[in-house]
Amino acid sequence: MSDAHSYLLGENALVLSLDVNAPSHTQQRKLFALCTALKDSNAFIDIVPAKSSVTAYMANPSDYQYWLKHIMLLWHECDDFAFDAKTHIIETIYGGEFGPDLSDVAQQANLTERQVVQLHCAQTYQVEFLGFLPGFAYLGKLPSELQLPRKTTPRKQVPKGSVAIAEDLSAIYPNQSPGGWHLLGRCQHTLFNPTHNPPSLFAPGDKIKFVPLKEGIC
Amino acid sequence: MLKVNKSGVMASIQDIGRFGYRHYGVCRSGALDPFAVCLANLLLDNPIHKAVIEITIGLAEFEFTSACNFSLTGGCLNAKLADKPIYPGWRYYASAGDVLTFGTSAHAQRAYLSVEGGFELTPIMNSCATDLQSHFGGFHGRALNAGDTLNYYTSAVKLDSLGVKQPPYTQQVRVLKGPHCDKLPNNTFERFIEQPWRVSELSNRMGSRLTCDAPLSHSVSITTQAVHPGIVQLPPSGEPIVLLNDCQTTGGYPIIASVIDADLRLFSQLGVNQKCQFVPCTLAQARKASDKLSAHLAQFSLAKNNNN
Repeated sequence: MSDAHSYLLGENALVLSLDVNAPSHTQQRKLFALCTALKDSNAFIDIVPAKSSVTAYMANPSDYQYWLKHIMLLWHECDDFAFDAKTHIIETIYGGEFGPDLSDVAQQANLTERQVVQLHCAQTYQVEFLGFLPGFAYLGKLPSELQLPRKTTPRKQVPKGSVAIAEDLSAIYPNQSPGGWHLLGRCQHTLFNPTHNPPSLFAPGDKIKFVPLKEGIC
Repeated sequence: MLKVNKSGVMASIQDIGRFGYRHYGVCRSGALDPFAVCLANLLLDNPIHKAVIEITIGLAEFEFTSACNFSLTGGCLNAKLADKPIYPGWRYYASAGDVLTFGTSAHAQRAYLSVEGGFELTPIMNSCATDLQSHFGGFHGRALNAGDTLNYYTSAVKLDSLGVKQPPYTQQVRVLKGPHCDKLPNNTFERFIEQPWRVSELSNRMGSRLTCDAPLSHSVSITTQAVHPGIVQLPPSGEPIVLLNDCQTTGGYPIIASVIDADLRLFSQLGVNQKCQFVPCTLAQARKASDKLSAHLAQFSLAKNNNN
């Protein structure tokens, strides 16, 4: 019995979608392995993972019938692929002017600011997918103690490099933009530069560790 | 040089778009009517994907500081060269100092301006399209402003007048059924194609938002997945959004339909309060419609070379 299905979205996009909304750890790893397998086929101009699916844009859309079947075959086989993730260390100044929501988050979670920082840094996150803005990575999973809904009123301007949390995810704002996530701190890393190759520091599947700098709460 | 005297409502550098970077969250950008970009370039014997200026709504004014062959495609925004009316689907010759102005029109929203040899621009991620949300590509990553100057490579040897038939801009938009119709309330897709929709004033290059008197409201949520231009999302409000070139790379609203590739260009000309009607079609019909557009380009290219 299969845990996924494939379909054609529009004329050119091949989708493999899991039958569950929240993938298990194994399924998550398999999704990234599937991305690698699809990339190795050279048959796609872009491969975009999301929470529980992979969408691959076909270079030659007339091959869609082959790929609708073949992607299922790859999905079932790709347990055997080892997915090799890159790890990034993100040095972060927590609290104060850089993390204007840290005290609020601490209060809501019934923790001290230091405990919030410790919990946020204790986890190794994985880039589930990118979206919203170029280089904006959705990092799973946030410890359950820190899970809060988004802010009721989004900020008009969130500064570049802000380290933020919302629901079961963490993220870093690659550029200044509006945003409704809780801001815990800020980092100096360049997450997106259109003139770099690749333009984004993070790729789907990468691992991220936050390290608190002594200039902030740690 | 082409000098921007007035940028009008909005004018930006666009080509057929940026492909292959959606997994980094980078949108397509590019002209809402890529077919008009190809035609504009073919009229000048340019490589067909050269960047052009997309003029939105109109009221823009440009000045040619040196002689230049140029072409105009897309919708008719009542353009004039040195005070004489000129029309989309034609190439023209501007003398040094000539001023090109755009008016407005109740029936058209966007015109495309190409110059012989193309504008001097640096591609970013394989495209000269302006990413207006993230501020890169095109001309300094932004829409054109009064006072900007664009360099072009022109032969300045006057080319003969040449015109091309542009495929019509209709209000009938062909769609393929979307993957989430069976999750939506019964007959949602049927109601979506039965009634005409009106373009809302909240529409922009990210998406055309549509309204009607009987929205298709629902309470279905789906897991965030990759989306792209042409996808029609149905938020719980029941008012569909046709995603256009500047749309985000992922979205969490149910997908009710996809506008076929050949018809997505129609949204380049559908203005606020204009009506559109969706018509279901098959994948084979969608492919045939795209092939027909490609054939149109090929035939024009052939006819043009035979006449040279």
